Amino acid sequence: MINRKKTLECDLLIAGGGAGGMQAAIDAADAGLKVIVAEKANTRRSGNGATGNDHFVCYIPEIHGSEENFINLLWHTQEARGGKDIDLVKSFMYNSFDVVKAWESYGIPMRPHGTWEFTGHCRPGVQGVHLKYAGLEQKPLLTKAALQRGVTILNRCPFTEIITNDAGEVCGGICVDLNGEKPELQVVRAKTVLIATAGSMLMNGASTMGWMFNMIGCPASTGVSTAGAYRAGARLVGLDGAVAPIGVSGCKYFNRGGKATWVGVYTDIDGNPLGPFVTKPDWRYGDFTADFWPGMFRMNIQKGNPVFMNCSEGTDEDIEYMKWGLLHEGNGATLQHLADEGFDFRKHMVEFDAKKGGGGGKGVGIDTFGDGTTTVKGLYAAGVSMGNGMVGIGAAATTGRIAARSAAEYCKGRDIEEAEKADIVEEKAEHYSKLLENDASTGSPTWQEAIIAIQQTMWDYLGSGVRSEKLFQVGLRHLGRIKDKINTVQCPTNHEFMRCLEAENTVQVAMLCMESSRSRKETRGAHNRVDYPFTHPDYDGKLMTVQKIDGQLVTGMRAMRK
Amino acid sequence: MPPIINKDKCIGCMNCVTICPMDVYGKQEKDAKTPVIHYPDECWHCNACVVECPAKALSIRVPLPAMMVFVDAPKKKDAQQ
Repeated sequence: MINRKKTLECDLLIAGGGAGGMQAAIDAADAGLKVIVAEKANTRRSGNGATGNDHFVCYIPEIHGSEENFINLLWHTQEARGGKDIDLVKSFMYNSFDVVKAWESYGIPMRPHGTWEFTGHCRPGVQGVHLKYAGLEQKPLLTKAALQRGVTILNRCPFTEIITNDAGEVCGGICVDLNGEKPELQVVRAKTVLIATAGSMLMNGASTMGWMFNMIGCPASTGVSTAGAYRAGARLVGLDGAVAPIGVSGCKYFNRGGKATWVGVYTDIDGNPLGPFVTKPDWRYGDFTADFWPGMFRMNIQKGNPVFMNCSEGTDEDIEYMKWGLLHEGNGATLQHLADEGFDFRKHMVEFDAKKGGGGGKGVGIDTFGDGTTTVKGLYAAGVSMGNGMVGIGAAATTGRIAARSAAEYCKGRDIEEAEKADIVEEKAEHYSKLLENDASTGSPTWQEAIIAIQQTMWDYLGSGVRSEKLFQVGLRHLGRIKDKINTVQCPTNHEFMRCLEAENTVQVAMLCMESSRSRKETRGAHNRVDYPFTHPDYDGKLMTVQKIDGQLVTGMRAMRK
Repeated sequence: MPPIINKDKCIGCMNCVTICPMDVYGKQEKDAKTPVIHYPDECWHCNACVVECPAKALSIRVPLPAMMVFVDAPKKKDAQQ
């Protein structure tokens, strides 16, 4: 049997030490809570912001005017996409600037050129909402701020399961400690659990199928948020939006990062601009075209017209600003690659395309309220683990703060329970032990096989552009068989064991996405149901939900909060 | 093999093993000085190891399937015309 480590105890257990999780840890510690962060890698360099991010969306009243004006400006950008509940948008708006100032106090340069700089993701004549900052060292600095406040960080100790008591309330979590020679089970008693891991990246697949970690977002995010919350009884939302083409563009084939920082003009090969907003590179804006018109790539390719990011006519100031921005959004390797290949921003232009996968500009995950609570008592969500909120580093950090402060209130008067005695701990210990016995010499499959099998099934039965009951039936049947095979995946090392648990969550999220899409009997946008070819008014202003009730998967919908 | 270790520069601090978010690196089984790249195709090109390496011994090579597609930019012309 897998070794069980001594049970730990805290007020708040945070799953995932990315920007959202670390901000939550800092604020919960400031509120007097005993905090443990369970992190798969090392919080110094983990998550979507490992070496920086492009922008921090933020509301500064003296720049953006009234709250109503800010929301109008926000809806003017790519942030308008996807089903976002307005209470989440507003709570983010009220808190975002305070978090920016907090980041500055941790030493993260939020106005590296002296003023609040809203550049990129905007167009001439309209005030931007995306704050440009220098994020390269954000994760080491957030980690330092958390440690200074007495937060316990468990690195190489991924969170795997929420523990609930007989009343269905959160009382702890299970992690697996991968620091030793063999994986060990780590139970943490906790009054509250905050899920701050991102979505299920590996479900979608990269455009370079043979190089599956070549992804826009962090491939270590594999859906313990969505799948774990579902297993604990939480309602999920927006899963029908998965595996649709997303409105994020970037370099063709090189999928890391998007176009946010590029200062150029979308042109054809002859240099003719393809969008209506800019004809010369300008460091203040970038080219806004694909932000609101992601279909431009497909439309141009159908005309035999590859699309390029053309920076060649930029001034020295434009090019230097872009290079600085690329470094601080975590694209140091991109710059190095371009240099190695002899690329010159003045002489060459890079082909761009639309990225695939993801939730269309919002999360695919936990149904969350404006204060970070979920439908499970004691369970909180932040960042992209939310299925109905904002995405991006600003949203992650700000919702981390909101959820942590709500959790601190909830903790008052709650007692610590003996989470390690819950049945699920024994079940998981047995399950993990069995996985660890899977032997490569018996020809058992690898985790890579499992992930590729999930990805091709998702693309063919959910993401092909055509959806139907018959496709869902076949796709779900096939995913079910893949799920059974994952129980036999070989786990010769801690690394493979970790990836096997990721595959388990990935296939569960994939099945939930398919079930949720199946329950939506209409056609709307990318959800092209050939068996229901009309847009049904019953679904207007609604979000699709999925939840486990009395052990059964129950799909449904709810009104979006206006 | 995305990460490349310059063995002449590596001081064996194992910082890359500690911080790599994708667990690409590992320690050699025997007491060798340099770390070993266990899972090269799981590199996300995040550059964390390059940034953190105190000896500047690391670099990232982008694999061929992820190579960027680029062409010569057309000669400058007045975009307003």
